[in-house]
Amino acid sequence: MSVTTLPDAPPADVVAPRSRRRPGRTLLGAGLIVAVLLAGLSVPYIIKDPYTMGLVLEMALLGLPALGIGFLARHLGLISLGHSAFFGAAAYSVGIAVNRWDLSLTAAVGFAVVVGTLVSLVMGVLVVRASGMGFLMLTLALSMALWQLALQTSFRPWTGAHDGLLINAGADASFLGMGPREIQDPGLFWAGVWVSLMGAALVLWLVGRSRFGVLLEGIRENEERMRFSGYGTFLPRLAAFTLTGVVASLGGALFAVNAGYISPDILGFTRAGDSLIAVLIGGPASLAGPLIGTGLFVWAQAHLNFGGNLHLFTGIALILVLVFLPGGLTGAVQRIARALRKGGSR
Amino acid sequence: MAVVLVLGTTLAACGSASSNDSGSDGGDDSTIKIALIPPTSGALAQFGTDAVKGWQVAADMVNAKGGIDGHKVELITKGTDADPATTIRVAKEAVTQDGAQFIGAVMTSPEHAALNAQLAGMGALDFNALGKDDALVGEQCSPNAFHIVQTSSMDLNGLASSIDEMPGDKWAIMAVDYATGHSAADKFTEEAEKAGKTIVSTQFAPLNTTDFGSYITKIKDSGADAVFAVEYGADGVAFVKQAEQFNLSSQVKTVLGFNMVSEPLFPTLGDSIVGYYNNVGYDVNADNDLNQEFVDAYTKANGSAPYYVPADNFLAAETLFAGIEKAGSTDPDDVAAALNDLTFDSIDGSVTLRGADHQLLRPSYLGQVEGSGKDLSFKILSSAEASTTTPEPSADCKM
Amino acid sequence: MNAAQLLNGIALGSLLMVLSSGLAMIYGLRGVTNFAHGALYMSGAYLAYTLSDRLSFWAALVLVPVILAVIGVVLEMVFFRPLQHRSHIELGLITFGLALIAERLVVLIWGEKTLSVDPPPGLTGTTSVLGVDYPTYRLGIIVVALALAAILVMWLRYTRTGLYVRAASQDIETAGIMGIDVNRVSLIVVSFGAALAGLAGTLAAPYVSLDPNMGNSFLIIVLIVVVIGGIGSIGGAMVAGMGLGIIQTVSTVWSPSVAVVVPYVALVVVLLWRPQGLAGKRVS
Repeated sequence: MSVTTLPDAPPADVVAPRSRRRPGRTLLGAGLIVAVLLAGLSVPYIIKDPYTMGLVLEMALLGLPALGIGFLARHLGLISLGHSAFFGAAAYSVGIAVNRWDLSLTAAVGFAVVVGTLVSLVMGVLVVRASGMGFLMLTLALSMALWQLALQTSFRPWTGAHDGLLINAGADASFLGMGPREIQDPGLFWAGVWVSLMGAALVLWLVGRSRFGVLLEGIRENEERMRFSGYGTFLPRLAAFTLTGVVASLGGALFAVNAGYISPDILGFTRAGDSLIAVLIGGPASLAGPLIGTGLFVWAQAHLNFGGNLHLFTGIALILVLVFLPGGLTGAVQRIARALRKGGSR
Repeated sequence: MAVVLVLGTTLAACGSASSNDSGSDGGDDSTIKIALIPPTSGALAQFGTDAVKGWQVAADMVNAKGGIDGHKVELITKGTDADPATTIRVAKEAVTQDGAQFIGAVMTSPEHAALNAQLAGMGALDFNALGKDDALVGEQCSPNAFHIVQTSSMDLNGLASSIDEMPGDKWAIMAVDYATGHSAADKFTEEAEKAGKTIVSTQFAPLNTTDFGSYITKIKDSGADAVFAVEYGADGVAFVKQAEQFNLSSQVKTVLGFNMVSEPLFPTLGDSIVGYYNNVGYDVNADNDLNQEFVDAYTKANGSAPYYVPADNFLAAETLFAGIEKAGSTDPDDVAAALNDLTFDSIDGSVTLRGADHQLLRPSYLGQVEGSGKDLSFKILSSAEASTTTPEPSADCKM
Repeated sequence: MNAAQLLNGIALGSLLMVLSSGLAMIYGLRGVTNFAHGALYMSGAYLAYTLSDRLSFWAALVLVPVILAVIGVVLEMVFFRPLQHRSHIELGLITFGLALIAERLVVLIWGEKTLSVDPPPGLTGTTSVLGVDYPTYRLGIIVVALALAAILVMWLRYTRTGLYVRAASQDIETAGIMGIDVNRVSLIVVSFGAALAGLAGTLAAPYVSLDPNMGNSFLIIVLIVVVIGGIGSIGGAMVAGMGLGIIQTVSTVWSPSVAVVVPYVALVVVLLWRPQGLAGKRVS
């Protein structure tokens, strides 16, 4: 038996198989995303309190890597513990570009997304041949390697090692027309993050419904058959992996600009585990699942963390969901909805 | 679609987004609200608990006297995992949700660095009694941050004059891989070489290192006969214990700890640390009335005498209260203005808060562990006045 | 480079060896990557702290593996057996959740404070080996680990149960068809694997200091060791564990920055070059 070809490649229970696709549904879904995008822009006018707004912003920022993890699970059956690496690499890149090379914040974000994407491309080349547990282990190991590198004394001038990295954008910093004070104001920073999140959701939705998406699902269901049918499977997998890397990098870059400080913990094991747990609890089988899970996680982190017990609760929640609700919360809702529809049409 | 329309009208009606009511002036100013954000998990949790005790004793003493100018003190105790991002989130929550105007008991230098960058936006003041990194009063300084604890430079200058009296010529440096560890190592190298000693080995271990075996082996191999160790909390314990297992003392005559050995660790460390030198931030036997009053109150409340962590946090509270008294107001901006160059009496004698970089000018001490069994304690070998230990305000600090 | 550093590497390798052989056994049989293995190791160390405080270190050395074996039985009966038809990934993630819970429970019971355990009397101080004075206790770890490795290999080679374990690790379904009671073998293996984690924790208690993170930092390295060694190959995991311990310590002396990435690089290289691991069997 080999790690890379463990027989459990598509965890069918975690990732519910998708029903037939119709062009009408694709358009409807895209329209819905655009509507949510427009509606979401009004959030800062409704949530006046900066603390709550800060939490909502954090949900959206962490939602970007979660979208990527969910996409890979949904379309390729791959469970990744490596997306914190792209998020973190992009965040560090913003800091390095600003502190060392005096790039403007806007340019630094562009640079960071490129770096995060390159990291995901390189990692992708090494890992996408694997599946199942092998894939999970490899993504974990490579992201841990990146974390260790960031902590190295020799990289202290760039990454700040264990001290983390304070981004010194200066008093005249500006990002998308915002000054240094506005950047840290979650209400004002919201629009950019929300548009990025919904834009990413729209792109991933359309890609998932395209011919490319069909190809990916074919690979997920039976890789050998796809290969016999004359499809290369390496490049499509790599492309999908890298696409989710771009999305996660965007989240990391925006996070760094808003936070102004990067702790090495964002590359760590705990963070990687947290984001995967959030996705699994929300349910990767739908586009919204990972976002709902991440939202719940951030909420729990702010409100259930008394005495440092957060992981006690997330651990219990993870086990309950995996044992009793495979497919996560949204998976359960979908099942109930399907059952109701069937019952209604009878 | 209806939702979008409704939201669209709200959008138009509401005007400006996210008006930043920090609410820090808190109505009629009847209470002084101080948020305490110590680490409640990880290697530093013990120090976090003790930091809160220092603030608690200060608050109780002031409240028993009817408050400051009639303002009662209220402590809002939160917790963090010492990750700067968490600390900032908790600090923002305390300021905007609970109406805290002042922040204390934050522990590590990275947390303070991140906090300093955000304080002005929050409209709150931070009193740092624990983070010793020099950069906090240098490039990372903030008009809203006050540095109560001695910086690494101050402590090192305080013990520099004693290096040549310590046995041993070949020194090995074992430091934590934080900015404070690196700056302490650099500074010590400079001072030791001035005193005619040589540095034979310099190593950095990450915080939460559990196996010091290969580091200790390297120290032994370097032929060192003295060790300068900058290891905190649990790491210090692991280092001392494992050095004992490796019988390092057969070769090394002097161990000079820097922020390594402190009273709460004495029972765990035991007799193996007798004779160790360490900087001492606070002299529990200092002969002044304020200190006696504090030591009595603290001992009564907690069953043991204070050491530098609770004492420095108590001193932070004293500083804040002196500022409020001088300002005649609890408004953070007024208090900050009143504290500039303010001299006041404290448990550490007469101290001055330097306006240029917000460093509190206070003495540094060098101690040596003496006694045995349950009666280990620090003997204060020397004390150095702030005028001799404190560097000039850094040019990088722009208030 | 000198003998003391080599011994440091062997001591670390010994711990990795004991820990990863248990993980490899469970992995080989149930196909589950037991993310809770680090938590079992940590619980073992904390139990050893309490037991050596109340009784003696030697009592802890015997009792802790027994307690952990019972926990292993619970793990098998409550999770692995009822959920064996689920995908391996799901089971792995469930153990991940268990690890999170265990870590917190340890904090709630023993507190956040870092604890330390003294080596038992008789093993304190140093002993002269290969021309260097080396801590006696660490030599003790090496001896215990090597003896254990020998016993384990003999057990697998020369006993009937050992034969069943090997057969079931190769192909659990065929083994079942051939009349081996797979559930019984699995129960033995999971409880024995947990006991080994407890033993590693006990051995580590006077070696390192105890903090709630000690499991996590070891877990990833041990997972890597098992994959490098080859899935289902206990011998491979042992050799890889010892090898990685030595290489890592030796390279720390040479260059700490390189040392920390050694396990990760080794993993990638092995998986690209020999995906089944060093001692893994070819996929049919």
